[in-house]
Amino acid sequence: MSPPPGRPKEGLASHPAMLPAALAIALLAALPWLGLPAFYESFLYLVCHWTILAVSWNILSGYSGYFSFGHGAFFGVGMYASAYLAANLGWPFLLTLAPAAALAALLGLALGAVVFRVKAVRGELFALLTLAVTFVVATVVLNTPIDGGPGVYLHSVAVPEIGPTPSSSLYLMALAGAVATLAIAWRIFVARLGIGLFAIHDDEDVAEVMGVPTYRYKLVAFGTSCALAGLAGGIHALFVTYVTVAETFNITVPLTVVLMSVLGGVRHWAGPAVGALAITSLHYFFTAGIDPLVGRAAVGAILVAVILFMPQGILGFLLKRRRPQARPAASTAAVPAAPTRRAAPSGRSAPLLQVRNLSKSFKGVRALDSVSLDVYPGEILGLLGPNGSGKSTFINVVSGHFPASGGDIQFEGRDLVGLPAHRIARSGIARTYQIPRPFAHMSVLQNVSLVAMFGGAALDQRRALEQAWQWLDFTGLRDKAGALPDELNLHQRKFLELARALAARPRLVLLDEVLSGLTPGEINDAIELIRRIRDRGATIVFVEHVMRAVVALADRVVVLNHGRLIAEGPCESVMKDSEVVRAYLGAPAHA
Amino acid sequence: MLEVERIEVRYGAAPALWEVSLAVEEAELVCVVGPNGAGKTTLINAIAGVQPVNGGVLRFKGRDITRLASHRFCETGIAIVPEGRRLFTSMTVRDNLELGSFVAAARRRRGQTMALVLELFPVLEAKLGDAAGSLSGGQQQMVAIGRALMARPQLLLLDEPSLGLAPAIVLDMFRAIREINAQGTSVLLVEQNVAMAMELASRAYVMEEGRIVAEGLAAELMSRPEIRRAYLGVEATQSASASLHPGSSS
Amino acid sequence: MTLPSLNLLLQSILSGIFIGALYGLIGLGLGLAWGLLRQINLAHFGLLFLGAYLSYHMATVWGIDPLLTLLVIPPLFFVFGVVMQWLLARFEVSPFNSLLITFGIAVVMESAIQAVWTADFRRLESHYSQMRFTVGSLYVPVPELLTLVLSAGIAILIWAAMRYTDLGKAMRAMAEDAPIAAAFGINQKGLSLVLAGICAALAGVAGICLALTFTLTPSQIFAWVGVVFAAVMLGGLGSAIGPLVAGMIIGVSEAITMAVASPSWAPIVSFSLLILVLLFRPGKIRA
Repeated sequence: MSPPPGRPKEGLASHPAMLPAALAIALLAALPWLGLPAFYESFLYLVCHWTILAVSWNILSGYSGYFSFGHGAFFGVGMYASAYLAANLGWPFLLTLAPAAALAALLGLALGAVVFRVKAVRGELFALLTLAVTFVVATVVLNTPIDGGPGVYLHSVAVPEIGPTPSSSLYLMALAGAVATLAIAWRIFVARLGIGLFAIHDDEDVAEVMGVPTYRYKLVAFGTSCALAGLAGGIHALFVTYVTVAETFNITVPLTVVLMSVLGGVRHWAGPAVGALAITSLHYFFTAGIDPLVGRAAVGAILVAVILFMPQGILGFLLKRRRPQARPAASTAAVPAAPTRRAAPSGRSAPLLQVRNLSKSFKGVRALDSVSLDVYPGEILGLLGPNGSGKSTFINVVSGHFPASGGDIQFEGRDLVGLPAHRIARSGIARTYQIPRPFAHMSVLQNVSLVAMFGGAALDQRRALEQAWQWLDFTGLRDKAGALPDELNLHQRKFLELARALAARPRLVLLDEVLSGLTPGEINDAIELIRRIRDRGATIVFVEHVMRAVVALADRVVVLNHGRLIAEGPCESVMKDSEVVRAYLGAPAHA
Repeated sequence: MLEVERIEVRYGAAPALWEVSLAVEEAELVCVVGPNGAGKTTLINAIAGVQPVNGGVLRFKGRDITRLASHRFCETGIAIVPEGRRLFTSMTVRDNLELGSFVAAARRRRGQTMALVLELFPVLEAKLGDAAGSLSGGQQQMVAIGRALMARPQLLLLDEPSLGLAPAIVLDMFRAIREINAQGTSVLLVEQNVAMAMELASRAYVMEEGRIVAEGLAAELMSRPEIRRAYLGVEATQSASASLHPGSSS
Repeated sequence: MTLPSLNLLLQSILSGIFIGALYGLIGLGLGLAWGLLRQINLAHFGLLFLGAYLSYHMATVWGIDPLLTLLVIPPLFFVFGVVMQWLLARFEVSPFNSLLITFGIAVVMESAIQAVWTADFRRLESHYSQMRFTVGSLYVPVPELLTLVLSAGIAILIWAAMRYTDLGKAMRAMAEDAPIAAAFGINQKGLSLVLAGICAALAGVAGICLALTFTLTPSQIFAWVGVVFAAVMLGGLGSAIGPLVAGMIIGVSEAITMAVASPSWAPIVSFSLLILVLLFRPGKIRA
């Protein structure tokens, strides 16, 4: 499960759960004055403390899939910043919290700015890199006057008088931090940023091609996550009153936040909080009677069990039962007007897409060799050729999935070469994938509305949803709106690809073997659909092997062979051209 | 020797092969042609044990091998030259060839077989110590064929060996395949270069969209409209068919 | 920064080579599993310490010569490795999830070790501990020398096996293209079990060396993670000799840093190297 199908941009105040939540927070805040024993204050402090850490970690790592093992570094930076400012420079404690968060955020942004540009550093490599950063920071702190060895004492630092006792003040600070963190996590979850992050999680390259500004989003998530970790560190400095490198920068923090989040559910904004509550309670109430070692071993065993049997976490498991049904509200049933019809290609208007001498090489292999062609508005152009002739590469280069090695691409007069894929998507070009690549953890509806949000049309969430329903109707997928992609058969998944491509309201649609694997009946449906797409004003370039579809649809065809364009013209005559025949059927040995 | 009876392969819910039946006799050279997406590679992979089969029967030398584990296929006498070669690129040419004879029966006669392979592809002799990934396309194809031969197979499966290769090299390679078949190895060849494949093979099958749509003697299939329709979508015309026959000037 | 004497520098370099050999030995099993089995096995460190503690126990409590434990512990761990791999294979775990699962297992092992042997420092005192050679003005302690010999010897043995034996080549082929390897008779399941067993046995050997040269305490298990990962990544996944060489480079860099600056700066060497490799040559790391 992932962000609900477009919670529209409501203010917090009008949210149905707002009143009970506010009451709960007020009650929690009032506890110190209600005579709560200090033991429970400590326990609640720790729950809030770990909530901040785990929920903030999840903002980057759970949402986008970039699992960081370095949360301890930012936590530590915050801790030392507060400790140093308060103990060594005499700042009032509350004033140290903002610098703590800011410094941690700065470190995170600097790191992210470099690392997120390196495409290969994802998954386990990102985890190890962030772990390494923790140890580097620890060593630096240990060997410079920030700590220098003996640690930093905060005994002389005055605890702000927020609650009746020092421990209750700390608890209230942590509570405030936890509430703020949960609010931020929720806000991101329901906003475009969250949806984009979840798309990055499922398939970053496709998300980029569909218009999600991946680099920027990752940086924002990382910076926010680090700032909150720094805040937690700052508060914790006063809680422990004696800050040392060994205690701050060890492996406990990074691994515990991973465990708590995975246990609670990484795909939900509140999942890590559930995990934090569960683990802290386990530690506090069960290990009191039991040997702490058994408790630790149990934590390790739980992690193993959760990954193997319940990878979606507690919250994920519970919420899966009642997946939102995604029925449209009455107001969204109205179908927005169709885009203006473009005239069928009678008489040559200026080309929509102009490709000149386009080349693409992979490690010395020429996949495209100086291809030049024009695509005219409103036409359906077939892109044909035998296996390995460069057709898919052509689509990949034009859509920005791969950079060109040479040549020129002009779309509506604008130069496309060198643009990042998400900008090409914004310009009005959309593509489907030969092997469908939907976002696996999002519903059909969410897949389509995401593109409406980030693609050429760039709509807000509410209008994106409306658009999505329209395209689901158009492709006949309305009944499957709430389903996950792996519940669809191949035909439906191909149509989902189509709906996604169309949701961006593109002026040029690139279709990559949309019909392969379909039954003859399904192929007929698809041919009809493609015609209707053109009638709504889009221009289509499609790669296809199913020849009767090509014959039925294409106004013109071009044929590639070994990366070069060898023929161009109306279908009938091109397919009888002897060079084309030879390309497909091969030359006999004695020719 | 090889009997494929109405096999079915599905990827998830989508059928890739549907009721496919074919046979290869001893020392025969049979080819399978068809456009992209027809299922030819799926068929070859199923026969080699690389692709599990969802229905139907595979029989080799009278024995039902449908449910056999992947790694047991080679010892029955089947070896594959996969599409795109799929050599172990990080290893040397010699290693690749030797791995072809990993199964015990082949391992015993490794030296002898290696000599035969090098006789067939003399250019590889100088390249034995080189990394397989550093060879040219044509040479890699030779290594791939050699690797399969090292397994001393009774049935050799070739999946689009001419893909990406220059015509002159393709000629040499097909000559080698003819030689291999002449020495008694049955060959099942999947090819995009229909004209050449039909010259080589005695019998052929035409596939389209996961099914066999035509079969028969290679020579007479060439003149039937199924092939042209499958690949080009247009009915045969005099000029098109003429360009494919020997002696034409195109 | 104080410039040390030549003798001190040479002694530092020597001790760097020794510790580097241990990094390499620990990293050998880790790197083989990562490169050939696509598993990032943090439990390797748990096994490392388990081997160390078992060796300590047998030597100190039962009076067995620590070198004789080489005959007992590695075979035992081989079986353990096979069983663990058999269980893991049933779940088809992704490389990232293997990181999390094996971390959980490592935590369980750490607790178990602490439960049996407590958190007190344990030092394996044997007649090897005080033995040393003198080469010129340099001291060569025997335990460290043993580690170097074992580490280099095993690395070369494994390198040769991977290079020249059918089994070794089959493992490399399996790692590169398992379905085609299977088409030529290579049984992935069986080979994976054998390989996992070997990696676990290697952890056992490394544990014995660890016990001979270091004081043991359970909390130190994770302290080795960073530097060993650095050695594996720099040396190359699936390589036999790579982690050894990289380990020694790291060890010597650390030692020189310690001699020239303060000892507590040492970790920055390996971790900075790791970060640099990850940023500039991540492609080299992918197996």
